[in-house]
Amino acid sequence: MRALLARSSLRHLGGHPWLTALSLLGIAMGVAVVVSIDLASGSALRAFEQSTDVVAGKATHQIVGGTSGLPEGVYTALKLRSDAPAAAPVVQGFVQVEGGNQRTLTLLGLDPFSEAPFRDFSTGNAVGDVGALLTKPGAVVMGAKTAQALGVKAGDTLPVMVSGLRKELHVAALLSPAQEATERALESLVISDLSTAQEVLEQQGKLTRVDLSLPDGEAQAARLRAALPQGAELVQTSGRAGTVEQMTRAFRTNLTALSLLALVVGMFLIYNTMTFSVVQRRGMLGRLRAVGVTRGELFGLVLGEALVLGVVGTTAGLLLGILMASGLVGLITRTINDLYFVVNVRRLSLEPFTLIKGLGLGLGATVLAALVPAWEAARATPVTALRRSTEEDVSHRRAPQRALLGLGLLALSVGLLAWPTQALPPAYAGLFGVMMGTALLVPWVTEKLTLAAAWPLGALFGPLGRMAARGVTASLSRTAVALAALMVAVATTVGVGLMVSSFRGTVVSWLEAALQADVFVSPPSLVARRGDSAMVPGLAEKLRATPGVVASGSIRVVQVRVGEVETDLLAIDFAQGQERSYRFKEGSTEDIWRQVDASPDVLLVSEPFAFHRKVRAGDTLRVSTDKGPHDFRVGGVYFDYGSDVGTVLMPRATYDHWYADRSVTGLSLFAAPGLDVDELVSRVRDRAGGEQALNVRANKVLRQTSLEVFDRTFTITQVLRLLAIGVAFVGVLSALMSLQLERAREFAVLRATGLTPGQLWGMVSLQTGLLGLLAGLFSIPLGLALAYVLVHVINQRSFGWTLQLVVAPGVVVQAMVLALVAAALAGLYPAWRMARANPAMALREE
Amino acid sequence: MGRGLVIGVVVVLAALGVAVGVVMRDTEEALLDGSGTMTVASALGGGDGGMEGYTRAVEPRPFRFPEDHGPHPDFRTEWWYWTGNLETEDGRAFGYQFTVFRSALAPEKPERGSAWGTRQIAMAHFTVTDVSAGRFHVTERFSRAALGLAGAEGSPFRVWVQDWDVRSEGTASTWPMRLRAQGDGVTLDLVMDEGKPPVLQGDRGLSQKGAEKGNASYYYSMTRMPSRGTVSVGGQTVSVKGESWMDREWSTSALGPDLVGWDWFALQLSDGSELMNYQLRDKAGKADPFSAGAWVPATGESVHLTREDVKLEVLATWKSPRGGEYPARWRISVPKLSLDLTVTPKLENQELPVSVRYWEGAVSLEGTREGKPVQGRGYVELTGYADAPRSEDVTTRSRTP
Amino acid sequence: MPSPLPDSRPLVELRGVTKSYAEGDSVREVLSGTSLTLHRGEFVVLLGRSGSGKSTLLNLISGIDQATQGEILVEGRDLGRMKERERTLLRRERVGFIFQAFNLLPTLTVEENVRLPLELLGRTGTEASARAHELLTRVGLSGRAGSFPDRLSGGEQQRVAVARALAHAPPLLLADEPTGNLDEETGKHVLDLLEGLTRQGDTCALVVTHEPGMAARADRVLTMEGGRLVERPGGARRVTS
Repeated sequence: MRALLARSSLRHLGGHPWLTALSLLGIAMGVAVVVSIDLASGSALRAFEQSTDVVAGKATHQIVGGTSGLPEGVYTALKLRSDAPAAAPVVQGFVQVEGGNQRTLTLLGLDPFSEAPFRDFSTGNAVGDVGALLTKPGAVVMGAKTAQALGVKAGDTLPVMVSGLRKELHVAALLSPAQEATERALESLVISDLSTAQEVLEQQGKLTRVDLSLPDGEAQAARLRAALPQGAELVQTSGRAGTVEQMTRAFRTNLTALSLLALVVGMFLIYNTMTFSVVQRRGMLGRLRAVGVTRGELFGLVLGEALVLGVVGTTAGLLLGILMASGLVGLITRTINDLYFVVNVRRLSLEPFTLIKGLGLGLGATVLAALVPAWEAARATPVTALRRSTEEDVSHRRAPQRALLGLGLLALSVGLLAWPTQALPPAYAGLFGVMMGTALLVPWVTEKLTLAAAWPLGALFGPLGRMAARGVTASLSRTAVALAALMVAVATTVGVGLMVSSFRGTVVSWLEAALQADVFVSPPSLVARRGDSAMVPGLAEKLRATPGVVASGSIRVVQVRVGEVETDLLAIDFAQGQERSYRFKEGSTEDIWRQVDASPDVLLVSEPFAFHRKVRAGDTLRVSTDKGPHDFRVGGVYFDYGSDVGTVLMPRATYDHWYADRSVTGLSLFAAPGLDVDELVSRVRDRAGGEQALNVRANKVLRQTSLEVFDRTFTITQVLRLLAIGVAFVGVLSALMSLQLERAREFAVLRATGLTPGQLWGMVSLQTGLLGLLAGLFSIPLGLALAYVLVHVINQRSFGWTLQLVVAPGVVVQAMVLALVAAALAGLYPAWRMARANPAMALREE
Repeated sequence: MGRGLVIGVVVVLAALGVAVGVVMRDTEEALLDGSGTMTVASALGGGDGGMEGYTRAVEPRPFRFPEDHGPHPDFRTEWWYWTGNLETEDGRAFGYQFTVFRSALAPEKPERGSAWGTRQIAMAHFTVTDVSAGRFHVTERFSRAALGLAGAEGSPFRVWVQDWDVRSEGTASTWPMRLRAQGDGVTLDLVMDEGKPPVLQGDRGLSQKGAEKGNASYYYSMTRMPSRGTVSVGGQTVSVKGESWMDREWSTSALGPDLVGWDWFALQLSDGSELMNYQLRDKAGKADPFSAGAWVPATGESVHLTREDVKLEVLATWKSPRGGEYPARWRISVPKLSLDLTVTPKLENQELPVSVRYWEGAVSLEGTREGKPVQGRGYVELTGYADAPRSEDVTTRSRTP
Repeated sequence: MPSPLPDSRPLVELRGVTKSYAEGDSVREVLSGTSLTLHRGEFVVLLGRSGSGKSTLLNLISGIDQATQGEILVEGRDLGRMKERERTLLRRERVGFIFQAFNLLPTLTVEENVRLPLELLGRTGTEASARAHELLTRVGLSGRAGSFPDRLSGGEQQRVAVARALAHAPPLLLADEPTGNLDEETGKHVLDLLEGLTRQGDTCALVVTHEPGMAARADRVLTMEGGRLVERPGGARRVTS
């Protein structure tokens, strides 16, 4: 591009510092949201992967046991074989630091003598008495940084809770590995000798797994497999590695999609800004054309401007994104901990790829958004005199055409959304199409609505009111763009808000149906939505016999491999004489229960499980049991909103048939008629004594706690929504402000003809208010449509949940308020400026 | 025009940059510069527990066999050391070493809920020198002495680390013993007879290592055990015959800090006699006064040798590719026995690249005894020649003779 | 570049040009069957009432607009057969434009405005600066080179516009009521400049104006009447080859 033209462009941007700054802010926020989500969830995942990698080590295979672990004899038998492979026994579990920040740590019990081929904690230096690890009960070593964070040093005692039981760990030494990855993994890890881990985790005689290094691969594996006892399985580690990634994929996809929505809103802002700058300069562009600047050069000029904005905005966005990510990483970690697994993320990992992706997205979005304005600029006719009315004529004439095009696009998008597939890309394309299609409808609808509004406004505010209304239609080419941008921005917040409220509503009614007992008892669990601890033996029976309990049920939650993937299995002992609270997706409830109770080969799966694994009632599932893998028939699919990965369920009798484990994870107690629930709670607490820390909760409390967990897991979504609202707010502000600033000359004429500053203020406010109102109104149907798509298409395809769309009036009102407040604010500055400015100056300005 | 905007943008970007810098800055302090690693080596070092609570070798004790072939768990360290030279019928020569070290981490047996809790741990080294192929096969193993993974028993005799073991063939008598081990591509299966009776080293089995009382070990040797069995190398199994040497030693005290290593010789002469000699070296490379040896005649009592009795001269050296320089040929003369021998390694590289590097290998020898020519073979152990050995490792990783 | 060689071809030739606009359902004919020949060095004045089609004629000659019927040749090249881009480039190289509303670029300084046509032709650096200064000196504004157009009076702006139009010494200068926004005195000064510079550079100038006095200076005087051109010789008529 010619240097002079480029300079002219930059001066134009500089000449409108507020608009330029706002559009930079728009781009920056859009990019920041995407980058921060990407970085934060990436960091969480990587932290988990790294610790998994370090913990899993270089094993090629693993021997794993049933629900009650692997007998340690499996390992000794293996090691005494003449063809014993490199093998390392592992006992692994979670401990929660007592007091302080109650951090959850992974306790990794290892046999130091078998470790060399697998894990490498020793590449760095260790301080302290390592030998004590083997001989001193409770001795652990941990990373120096972890110790620092916990405020302990070598030689200290660290009290921890394990499934409600208090244990003491002794810090024997601190590790400072040289490699950063190892060091990071160590951040949530305490390492002990196998003996200590067995004792602390109450796993005497059991191993979590045996890591194997089998250089000869499957042949060797097959040989070893033949000698394994029932219930022990030899599996490839590669098959297990992806589970975490898979487990959280839907969660992360949704986060990314929501963050992309923020970018789309940002794109509309850029589009708005660029369109404005083109529309504003139409005269000048015409002159350039007359002087002999070609269309291609003008097109490039506008794209170049956009690129400059894009580069600056994206850079700011990347930096802002990193800042936001360091805040969000805590939230995401919290959510992952509530939903999936225990992970400690102490640090943000700045992946260059994420940053490059953010850069590409920011620049790409800017250029994409600037394409249409650039094309418009190139189409500018070489004019000798500005003929504004012709432009507006064209704009009015095109309004119905655009509306038709919009309808077409809407129809296409609906088709795309209705396309019976489980793939997400068409759903997102459809979502985007709905937004674009609606945006195309805006000019025509605006024209009709403002014409209709002119009369009441005129009646209310006199000629100024009419003028305000007419101003909207008179400059339709500009107002329509601003309105469309606003509508998309506000509608996005409505859509996401409604999605969350719908989800919550569904969960509330599900909880009401699912939680029927009066009192629930369980040891504290580390992953909120999963019960992963067990009650100490005998305690369950004791509590079930609490006086005043007429009926009681129990639940056991364990991890089993279903089709080679770790899955939560619920074994339920239903309370006698009480209705079973599960609802099924299809089939008769009675038939399903009859089948399940009659045969030990039938189990039930949750809706997300059925969705992710593509199974239906009547299909067969291979589940690892203590008696070896067994094929179960799926009796039915039940509704469940507790786990997005899915769970399988079987009656306790079936569980006891296949597994040796007799533990209980939780109890549900029904109070005798007339007995106060709180009374029963305190009776149960008394009876439990101090043997094990237990959560004893009344129905109401549990429901509330569950909802708190739910709300916590959606905090990140709410934050995203707030961010989108922020971007939308900036959008409203910049769109309306530019609209008003652009009319400086018109206002000057009005001032010159005798309008007082106050009247001018009133008119501007009226007009921006009208625009805000219109944007708010437009955003409601679009927001509803977006919510519908998010709830029924995107959520369904990501998680497999059937949700009810609930329209929360609060969300809708919020959207209107957002639009109106932003609009009112947007009117302030231009009105103030115009009221102050000398009309003569404005009249002189070209 | 727009200067304010440019300045504003620059300021905002700079502020963001600084903020990111602050957030991403690793506020953690520099890594602690510690010593020691979480390796098995330091675990074998027995921690900082010291010698408190362990039995020590203070005075001569009566030796009883076969009981004393078994473990002495109240001492801190103990080892069973088999070496030997073997040959096939057509003269293909092999050397082998099989060692099991027992190390106690605590003087008392701990009360533990877990079966993995133990205070005894084991390390084993297994080497085969394939002389004609010029190959040296080495395997190292560690295990805790728990859950039957490793251990030692006196009667019936058994020392094992996982599937490597040496045990009495029958239950009635200790002899013959059967040794089975495999690793690094070789398998050894050997049956050993008692041969000559045990030779008590030092003062009736009390081998003094330093001036301080209790700085000693109990030490006996089986100097010539007729052995037969098979060696499998590269999928080929051959029958072998030869003679083995067993060294047994248990102690609690460590060597003095000024000692860096030793040269140990276990030589079997063609006239039916054996010569054992060790020379302890200090930092200056000089022989320590407590260096000692023994000459075992074909029949009759053994003769104790002091440092002054034995003259040791290095004739050649070998540079290890891993670093360090070892003596590689010696002249050993014992004037009071009219013994003059030249000892040559059967293979230069018989260095064990294990947790702590040392050289232990088969040697051949020739020379004169009272003017008559003799030949023979044996084993030599050289420690403290590898780069920067740490004294604590040396004392715990390999044996002190 | 100004061509020093005399060119016998006419610079501009219109043959039976008709231009009509659609206005709603009706069609309004602005030009009907107009023919015209312009030669280098001619100073031609175009008179006519508002809406008579004068501006349309200029737009057609510069290739901004296209004829409904007939041929327009500039230096022998038929505009109707040229692509849009070629017409733009032709305009860039061969045509200078002066508008009634000055139409300077508000984001460029006075000097940059004058340099723009040169830079568009790839003539940058000191040569372009020198040329811009030369022209600004000639229009008497060398002292205002660094100012932005909105700091200048109307007359000054139009003088900058003249300098800009002639910066690259185009063979054809089109001026659309260049004095329309100026007082008589200032307008006269601008026209003096325009005429002087045109005649010096062997440029053909086609000036649309209401100024009756202009006719006296012109070589030829054309009048638009009802979509047709009527020609009469101007007061400065001279013989061209």
